[in-house]
Amino acid sequence: MDNQKPQVNIEDLVKELEQCKKEKEEYLNGWKRAKADFINYQKDETKRIDEVMKFSNEMLIRELLPVLDSFQLSLSVMASPAREDAGARRGVEIIQSQFEDILKKHGLEPIKALGSKFDPSLHEAVEEAESDKESGTVIEELTRGWKLHGRVIRPARVKIAK
Amino acid sequence: MPKIIGIDLGTTNSAVAVVEGGEPKILENAEGNRTTPSIVAVSKAGERLVGLLAKRQAVTNPKNTISSVKRLIGRKFSDPEVQGDRKWLPYEMKEASNGGVSIKFGDSWLTPEEISAMVLAKLKADAEAKLGEKIEEAVITVPAYFDDSQRQATKNAGEIAGLKVRRIINEPTAAALAYGFNKKKNEKIVVYDFGGGTFDVSVLEVAEDTVEVKSTGGDTHLGGDDFDKKINEYLVSEYKKQEGVDVSKDPLALQRLREAAERAKHELSTSAETEINLPYITSDASGPKHFLLKLTRAKLEDLVKDYIDRSVELTLKTVKEAGFELKDINELILVGGQTRMPAIQQAVKKAFGKEPHLGVNPDEVVAIGAAVQAGVFQGDVKDVLLLDVTPLSVGLETLGGIFTRLIEKNTTVPTTKSQVFSTASDSQTSVEIHVLQGEREMAGDNKTLARFILDGIPPSPRGVPQVEVTFDIDSNGILNVSAKDKATGKSQSVRIEASTSLSKEEVERLKNEAAKNQAEDKQKRETVEAKNNAESLIYLAEKSVKEAGEKVSEDIKKLVQEKVDALKSVKDGNDVQKIQSAAQELSTEVQKIGQAMYKNEKSEEPKTDDPQPPVENK
Repeated sequence: MDNQKPQVNIEDLVKELEQCKKEKEEYLNGWKRAKADFINYQKDETKRIDEVMKFSNEMLIRELLPVLDSFQLSLSVMASPAREDAGARRGVEIIQSQFEDILKKHGLEPIKALGSKFDPSLHEAVEEAESDKESGTVIEELTRGWKLHGRVIRPARVKIAK
Repeated sequence: MPKIIGIDLGTTNSAVAVVEGGEPKILENAEGNRTTPSIVAVSKAGERLVGLLAKRQAVTNPKNTISSVKRLIGRKFSDPEVQGDRKWLPYEMKEASNGGVSIKFGDSWLTPEEISAMVLAKLKADAEAKLGEKIEEAVITVPAYFDDSQRQATKNAGEIAGLKVRRIINEPTAAALAYGFNKKKNEKIVVYDFGGGTFDVSVLEVAEDTVEVKSTGGDTHLGGDDFDKKINEYLVSEYKKQEGVDVSKDPLALQRLREAAERAKHELSTSAETEINLPYITSDASGPKHFLLKLTRAKLEDLVKDYIDRSVELTLKTVKEAGFELKDINELILVGGQTRMPAIQQAVKKAFGKEPHLGVNPDEVVAIGAAVQAGVFQGDVKDVLLLDVTPLSVGLETLGGIFTRLIEKNTTVPTTKSQVFSTASDSQTSVEIHVLQGEREMAGDNKTLARFILDGIPPSPRGVPQVEVTFDIDSNGILNVSAKDKATGKSQSVRIEASTSLSKEEVERLKNEAAKNQAEDKQKRETVEAKNNAESLIYLAEKSVKEAGEKVSEDIKKLVQEKVDALKSVKDGNDVQKIQSAAQELSTEVQKIGQAMYKNEKSEEPKTDDPQPPVENK
């Protein structure tokens, strides 16, 4: 009896130790994972906040784009030679550039369209027309396209050569 | 464990979602949008375009831009639906050798599966880019009325795109999953899905672990786009009435009108009236013309009333087909962007006499549900760590009987917080740490957990000793509080086993009490804080006067003394405002001493900038 008891104990202990080792591994891994999750969460959080800020700006800027269009339209009408309100025109021009400068400071930039090759990542084709230009060339820009922080928020609406 | 994505493969738009950390979320595509147009194209340059890029060149490249392929997938060419859609779809199609549909795409003829696969491949690639890992499996949704052949074809499309399709699930079932309704047994659910181009109604019954589709109905050619068209037509006709100019031939004007119409539609979901304002819409001999029109919600609802009535009619019919009465229906789910329109919500509510569910974004609810199903297959990481939170705040008593929280309630444990405190009077050699638990502002209203004394602090002026108090709650909820004098390194601590052993009821009671007394407690606390602040200011002022000695003129000293006396006379009262204004006046006066001395003396021992009131002296 006395001889056997320690033997049983050792076996039990070995089992228990193995169990403990297994649990230790599991817990340590869980801990590492939780810690890593947390660090990653912190990183993601800063990124997310940046994105939220950019995005909330984007919502506002998107809504302002039609106003930019209106400026351009009004200037193109005033440009017609029949008119002589050069002073008024100059004033509107200055307001337009004042407005655009502010938006540019916040990451807005116009997309170049006229004369370049149609690129669906930057342009949206609205019409096709006969032209002496090479097929697929942008021959008219109907509304300007805009990028915000390098990302297209509105493609340029264009007419392309057939 | 690799992630499995959920895909809502729609007729006009598709979306992808995934379960991460137990929560389903939409994955944005490469262009940064939450939905992707289900359109593919071969550009004139021979390039293959998918999604938004394909849509942007659709007008000038209609023959090679393939949209609405969901209307064709898994169908026979001879199906009346296919023949009907063929009339208006701008691309070419013919009968395939197996009787299915074959679509001309560039120089080749492809099956609808292959076209759908291009959309799925983009969704997969964008999801991989967003998640930063490879995706190999997906759950894809289809309309409840899809037959075996259509389901098989959708599955094949997934396989062609390199996705193992774990399951094809019904769109209404996915919507129910997104709301967690699969767990509610014996419920009857109506899913009203008003998409961009199609309207689907489904009646579901939740049984033991299954969601059964009892009936389906709808109109495959009724959708939000029809609403936009209606508004657009109205705007053009109104303009003609107003100005006598027809803008329907001017593509730029039409484009601007279309956008304005869509914006107006969205705006009228939240406000009762909106203004459509399009300067320089066109011009004639008399000069430029502008478009200005007020559109009310009532007018919009009037314009689309027929569509809404029809959708409700179809819904009621579908419920009847399922063999149910209207009163049998337990839940109503609205899906599709168009259901944001208040008139639709009201119409549905009126028909069923109950509130529809709107919580999940109606554009995304199907993809979210697909992700929930995918999450079940994915099997989230086993939770080896079950983390608890402290039910109540713990902290200590500070000067004037204020309860200063160190660990706020609902903090996940284990956690450690420490803060430096100081003494309240000169030559104080010991501090008492009174550990408390509760949500009230004053220490006396909270529950005492322990008290202990840290002594042996070297005699020094008030506010100079730095006593660091640390609260630590381990994962078993055991609170250890220690206080350490930073100068001598001497420390004292206490271990409190029962810090979280309050019963649920007790915790609730304490929280309720705190909420009830919130305003009064706050005022008490402010009074004490104002008094504490007044006392330390008086102390500081008197000390400054003494130390300044000859360096500062008697005039200044006299003025300071006057203000000190004024503050002393009000500080024991209960008028916080009086105390604060007297303190403010003294503080301004005391600064003059500083200014006068500043030229002579520059550096001194770092003063106690500790914003905390000192620990109470007993």
